[in-house]
Amino acid sequence: MRTNTSLSFMQAIATFALMSCLGLAYVINPIEDSLFFKAIDTMVEGLYQKEVLSELNNSVVAGMLLGLFVGTSYIFLSMNKKMYDYSTLFILVSIILIFVASFSGYDSFPYYITQQLFLWFWIGIPITIGITGIWKNSIGNQVISAFLVIVMPIGLEGNTNDQIYPILGFVFSFILYLELSYGHTRYSRLARVMYFSKEFETVLNWFLTTLTLTLALTIGLTSVAFLFHDFLGDILPYSFSNSIEFNTIYGQALSILVFFMIWAVLQTLFSRGYLARQVED
Amino acid sequence: MWTRKAVVYVGLGTTLVLFSPFIDNLQLFLLGTTILGFVAVHSLVNTRPIDVKITRGFDAEQVFENSPVSIDLIIKNKGRSVGFLEVYDNLPSEVEVDNGSNHTIIRLQKDELVINKYHLNCRLRGQFRLGNPSLRIYNPSFLFYYEAEIESKSSLVVLPQMEQIDGVDLSTDFPKMYQGAMPIRRIGTSGEFYGIREYAPGDDFKNINWRVFGKTRKLMVNQFEREDISDIMLVLDAREITGTGTVLQNPLNYSCRAIASLVNYFLRSRNRVGLTIYGETVKVISPDTGERHLYGILTALAEIKAKGSLGLHTILGDLRNFTPRSPVMVVSTLENDPTSTEALREITARGFKLTIIAPDTLNYDRDSRIISPTVYFTASASLDNKITEARSLGARAMRWDPDTVLSTSLAEVIR
Repeated sequence: MRTNTSLSFMQAIATFALMSCLGLAYVINPIEDSLFFKAIDTMVEGLYQKEVLSELNNSVVAGMLLGLFVGTSYIFLSMNKKMYDYSTLFILVSIILIFVASFSGYDSFPYYITQQLFLWFWIGIPITIGITGIWKNSIGNQVISAFLVIVMPIGLEGNTNDQIYPILGFVFSFILYLELSYGHTRYSRLARVMYFSKEFETVLNWFLTTLTLTLALTIGLTSVAFLFHDFLGDILPYSFSNSIEFNTIYGQALSILVFFMIWAVLQTLFSRGYLARQVED
Repeated sequence: MWTRKAVVYVGLGTTLVLFSPFIDNLQLFLLGTTILGFVAVHSLVNTRPIDVKITRGFDAEQVFENSPVSIDLIIKNKGRSVGFLEVYDNLPSEVEVDNGSNHTIIRLQKDELVINKYHLNCRLRGQFRLGNPSLRIYNPSFLFYYEAEIESKSSLVVLPQMEQIDGVDLSTDFPKMYQGAMPIRRIGTSGEFYGIREYAPGDDFKNINWRVFGKTRKLMVNQFEREDISDIMLVLDAREITGTGTVLQNPLNYSCRAIASLVNYFLRSRNRVGLTIYGETVKVISPDTGERHLYGILTALAEIKAKGSLGLHTILGDLRNFTPRSPVMVVSTLENDPTSTEALREITARGFKLTIIAPDTLNYDRDSRIISPTVYFTASASLDNKITEARSLGARAMRWDPDTVLSTSLAEVIR
């Protein structure tokens, strides 16, 4: 695989991972429970005195597609400065007109559609920002997008062990997005310097292979750590494993903590053994 | 060493693990755990010590200005395989990479050998030290890195560029006739036959070749070789002011090139050439002949830096030991030297045949806005005055524009 192909492949997978993790985030946390969208709902209701964001759940897919469209359009438009300026002006004028029309009660304006667009825009904004981050190599955008993916769907309802598979899927795609987008930024920067190097391609392939393996291993480790809680429940005394504390998220946190302590001890022992060998040499 | 990314990951992971139980959110808790696990797993990937040897190979350790140097950076892995190895060869700022790069990223298998080739263009004379190559290993996700320097220093001497000087008679009217002197192929008055030419009014009748006249009925005169081996002393101004301008375009650099060209020319004409450099101190290289002497002078020229403010008069003491009436060539702008007039007067008074070459970079400095037009006119007028003054003392003096060929400029002043 040539360097440019590998880098484009990384961008494509990162985009897909971003959409996937946002979608799974809304599968885990229903949009009507999201504090962010509740706040938007309240704000818009206060502004227009009407309930407008009533079909939140159905809007997730539309919002993500809109985000994808806006992000992609931005990437293409920013290739041409003139087109970018005209389009920005057009969008700005449209938004102002919609705002003025809504306030002055201009009924013939497609009120319902604009409100839906407004909602979809907010749902899709992590994707818009993320795509810009991935395709324009902006680490700042990648960070903001990752932050929004984590924060926007959060509600107060919480989630339980029943959603473990979507959660693991979310975790996998989220880290894949972060790693590939950041990796692409770093490696594409290096590729510009390394255009003559024959070895750079092998470094890039090594990165992709190692990322896949380590990510799979980490997800496996997290699953094992999660299952370790059940294992502890089996081996610990009944009074302890059946206690309220053990069966809440705090109990799970403690189990995972114990698991990683064992991991840390093993790793330290391994490192000590390695150091001892170095001294003998 | 941890990268900023690793610190952010650990910070985010810890925050999520600590914060998520408060909102009963297993998703964020597992995300935090996974991020911490990811960092822990990556602390084992490509972070162990490595054993890499780097050596540097040159095609030449001494080169002339504007000559390319090919460098082979030989990287040999003697330890474990390395996924991401960044190698940066530390070069002095005076040399520039022409082809290839001194910075590379490679993947090294166990016992693998990789050669990174690149070319340097040495545009500035000097003695340069190529530093230790730096190594950096990143783990694949840029979470940890390790930096080291490999001991592999080398030196590179860039000698001043030499120009071919031809057809300019710069030597003395009083040749040094010593035993065993080697005649050079130039028209003169010795007993050795050189060639014949047509008679011109004023030629000595005794030189007419009557045998040729008998055959051709044309008056032809014999020409004889001239033996004019002499000691020539070159004087180089290396005061701080001669470094004015850019790193590449300054009077000192041009002076060094002029001196190198003249030394080469004189030595090839079998003269003995010496060099006196003044600036911070006075350094004298006694007159001598031969290829080794040429490289000795060129190496001395490569090391010169513009320093100090000693005047031209400081060389007078050393000139006293020099053969009287021999040629002395001063390569200097004579700027800001209050002792120059007195010194030039004394040199000519002692009978030395004085030639002054003043490298003139004022036009370049003005065009590059290093000096203002006012400074240009003042400096230019001052230089003209110095030249006129030197000529009035009987010296051959010239402003040399470094863009023109030195021998052409010299031919004009010697004519």
